Amino acid sequence: MTQEKFYYDNKIVKLFTYATLFWGIVGMLVGLLAAAQIAFPSLNFGLSFTTFGRVRPVHTNAIIFAFTGNAIFTGAYYSMQRLLKARMFSDFLSKLNFWGWQTIILLAAITLLAGFTTSKEYAELEWPIDILIAIVWVSFGWNMIGTLIKRRVQHIYVAIWFFLASFVAVAVLHIGNSIEIPVSFFKSYTVYAGVQDAVVQWWYGHNAVAFFLTTPFLGIMYYFLPKAANRPVYSYRLSIVHFWSLIFIYMWAGPHHLLYQALPDWAQTLGVVFSIMLLAPSWGGMMNGLLTLRGAWDRVRDSAILKFFVVGVTAYGMSTFEGPMLSLKTVNALSHFTDWTIAHVHIGGMGWNGFLTFGMLYWLIPRLFNTKLASEKSANMHFWIGTFGMLLYSVPLYWAAFTQTLMWKEFTDSGFLAYPDFLETVTQIMPMYVTRVIGGTLYFAGAIMMIPNIIKTVKSGHIINNEEAHAAPREKVAKARVAGETPHRWVERKAVHFTVWILIAIIIGGLVEIIPMITVKSNIPTIEAVKPYTPLELQGRDIYVREGCYTCHSQVVRPFRSETERYGEYSKQGEFVYDHPFQWGSKRTGPDLARAGYRGGTMFRPAIWHYEHFLDPQKTFEKSIMPAYPWFFDNTIDNSTLKRKIEVMITLGVPYDGAEPDYNYVNKNGDVDYSKVEKAYKTQAEGIAKELQDMGKDVTWDKEIIAMIAYMHKLGKDISLAKLADKKANESKVEQTNPGEVNLEAGATIFANDCAACHGKKGEGGMGSNLGDNFTLHGASSADIKNVILNGAGIMPPFKKFTETEIANLSAFTTSLIGTNPENGKDPEGEEIK
Amino acid sequence: MENKNIDPKEVYKEYNEKFDKKLMIDHDYDGIKELDNPPPPWLMWLFYFTVIWAVWYLAWFHWFDMGRLQEADYQHEIEEAAQKYKVTAMDAETINILSAEEDLVRGSEIYKKSCVACHGAEGQGGIGPNLKDNEWIYGKDISKVFGVVKNGTEKGMTSFKSIGDEDILKVSSFLLKKL
Repeated sequence: MTQEKFYYDNKIVKLFTYATLFWGIVGMLVGLLAAAQIAFPSLNFGLSFTTFGRVRPVHTNAIIFAFTGNAIFTGAYYSMQRLLKARMFSDFLSKLNFWGWQTIILLAAITLLAGFTTSKEYAELEWPIDILIAIVWVSFGWNMIGTLIKRRVQHIYVAIWFFLASFVAVAVLHIGNSIEIPVSFFKSYTVYAGVQDAVVQWWYGHNAVAFFLTTPFLGIMYYFLPKAANRPVYSYRLSIVHFWSLIFIYMWAGPHHLLYQALPDWAQTLGVVFSIMLLAPSWGGMMNGLLTLRGAWDRVRDSAILKFFVVGVTAYGMSTFEGPMLSLKTVNALSHFTDWTIAHVHIGGMGWNGFLTFGMLYWLIPRLFNTKLASEKSANMHFWIGTFGMLLYSVPLYWAAFTQTLMWKEFTDSGFLAYPDFLETVTQIMPMYVTRVIGGTLYFAGAIMMIPNIIKTVKSGHIINNEEAHAAPREKVAKARVAGETPHRWVERKAVHFTVWILIAIIIGGLVEIIPMITVKSNIPTIEAVKPYTPLELQGRDIYVREGCYTCHSQVVRPFRSETERYGEYSKQGEFVYDHPFQWGSKRTGPDLARAGYRGGTMFRPAIWHYEHFLDPQKTFEKSIMPAYPWFFDNTIDNSTLKRKIEVMITLGVPYDGAEPDYNYVNKNGDVDYSKVEKAYKTQAEGIAKELQDMGKDVTWDKEIIAMIAYMHKLGKDISLAKLADKKANESKVEQTNPGEVNLEAGATIFANDCAACHGKKGEGGMGSNLGDNFTLHGASSADIKNVILNGAGIMPPFKKFTETEIANLSAFTTSLIGTNPENGKDPEGEEIK
Repeated sequence: MENKNIDPKEVYKEYNEKFDKKLMIDHDYDGIKELDNPPPPWLMWLFYFTVIWAVWYLAWFHWFDMGRLQEADYQHEIEEAAQKYKVTAMDAETINILSAEEDLVRGSEIYKKSCVACHGAEGQGGIGPNLKDNEWIYGKDISKVFGVVKNGTEKGMTSFKSIGDEDILKVSSFLLKKL
């Protein structure tokens, strides 16, 4: 057969290699800063763009998209050309991919630090950059599929299945999650509201882990590990089974990020079961990697590269075991919102992504430059320091997580929170936060060691930018399956078919979970008391988003007694219908804020408290680790886009168009009337400013701090006001009753509030006895009933709080229940009433 | 697909007799070969087990309604706590101010932890009002102070009900006796 001559594009690989190293160092350095800021809050420097809330997204984005992103392109561009025996489809697309991606990273770093963010984790970038990402990502995919089409080999190798799946899934995820309406060039609102936004975001967030941090790295593993070990891949059949099961199941597991939160039960269940089913497919990748090393283990001792691969693949196995375990509701109840999550992702990030990348680069760069690695010893050192650093990073965080979550949930003997003060639980784990900085520093030091080693290697060799290669053209084979060909083997030679099957596999999970959340109303029961944000609160909310408050504060109370006691009522789906985007967060470095505006609640703080606290948290609480926000006090609110914001919100269905009379900001034609918006803004802001001025503060209504305080006071406000109104209505009802005359209706209300929990809504009994039958334990006369109410009986607690009238009403009501024999009644107890 | 006639030694210099019996010789990707080993059976069984478990879990919670879902789980926890702790609210009307030294010491500890941020280290006031002077906005007797600490006020005092009635009484006694 005639051999064709062609050239591998090595230059593009070289560029991606350098970018990987550069952004790796930057990303880790920013991570170190973020970790140090938690341990030593003064490192926030009191400047907006150096504060944790903005630094943390830079770290996560830099590591995920800049470091591992460039590593993916390095691995893909090197291996695909060789696996397909073809140069990349288009040099232009290769360059567009490279330079476009670096531009995005640069823009990301600048805009995130400047506070332009959507606040959707790992998708924080604003809409113009989202569009750029889509363009560059598609140029990568186009280039890949183009190369596949002009390939010279018949079948496509498993590494490329994984690259293909990554391309298809990330494209779908990125576009799906980034549907937003621009307000200005730097600001947009997501089209999804509240619970829907949460589901879409974590469908994305979870699968960014899947299809950005997992599948492309499995692709890298399947090429570089057998190459470095010079061993055949252990099992082709395992490749098939774990590939398809992995990409299909992964897409369903997103809701495990939202367990016990305001999410319908069915969605939570799907998140749990698919996460558990994900265990074996994930381990399939690990096992195929580790078993490929059979017969090569003796070389692992000396080879830094193989050591990186072994620990990397093992870390993958550990994370993918831990992941499903964390998705069990019982475990999640303990782990979520703590540093457990942070430790978990760093085993994955440092171990799997980091070590696989380091191993790949140590193998690849000498080959690219036709030379030997300058110092195998240094690479070995890097491995050991990195491994030790990773342990010293994660173990303290696991420890911190266990400590803190148990403190959050501990009750005293009399049933009250043992640590009602959130700060106590933070102070307790500060030593762990300091230790993890040391661990992170070691890991970073290892990466730094790599740089001179690589520079020396590069200098000692030379690169052939266009490397000559030879291969025979692809043979024409029948389109249909040929005899003896398995269906999978058949699809392996049909690249476009293969891509379509991937699309089908990945799309199902998301559709099943997201579509009902948007179309079926019963998934998000409405709460009438919940009102939209006022313009001032909306502006405050946007500041909250801008500062990345969600990186440390959640806004969703889970239905646990330890949380309802600490924060107040647990969060319901209907509370978030006006939230574009949702702000539930995923970590509680500080306390939950969902009830920060709940009047009469444990989390409510007066305006003046917020004022002092934002200005200098350490002055309020010496040991607080919250950064100060002095610029809130200098910055005048930017209302130039407020009109547009209201317009966008109307488009998204927020009733600013007259449907809610108190929030009507439109004129007769239905257009937003800015004077109404401005008036509402100013009236509310002046009220808060006056309150602060009365306390001697020098502040005007147009400062950002005012909007921030208004937003804090909105969180949970509506349902608390509804509760208060109910309570007052009940009180006045009881008072209106003439003394001596019993009021059954008032008695029924008391019964519903104080008795129904134990005696059932209709008196059918439960923990307490059945009050609707003809039997009584402690007597049925009004004197007997009064005695039981006031002094308790058996397990029934005394209720001394009631007034005489209330007792009379309640007693009359319970007497009226006798003989009603409600459904599902508890068995009779005591004596029959004659 | 597999071709047992080909000698793997020709393909792989480091051929390992013990493992590589089933080399798939027509699978060659840039020199990478694949073996025709079956997936490890234990891994497949693990997979089948998780699938069965998933079906069981779904059925348990959503078809047979045997398990407690979120809301029910919470109600259960509340009921359990009510039984376990027999939490009885203290009656603000009938409580008595505490004067035992240990109670007041405990009260001062709570004050340091939870109150100084707003009322100052000496009770001189700041964010919240002065507690040292003899003026009590909501009344001077223990039941009023107790009520304010427990339930907060509309003006902005935070509710401290989560610290428990006993500690509320101790800190309230401390406020009245020592400041």
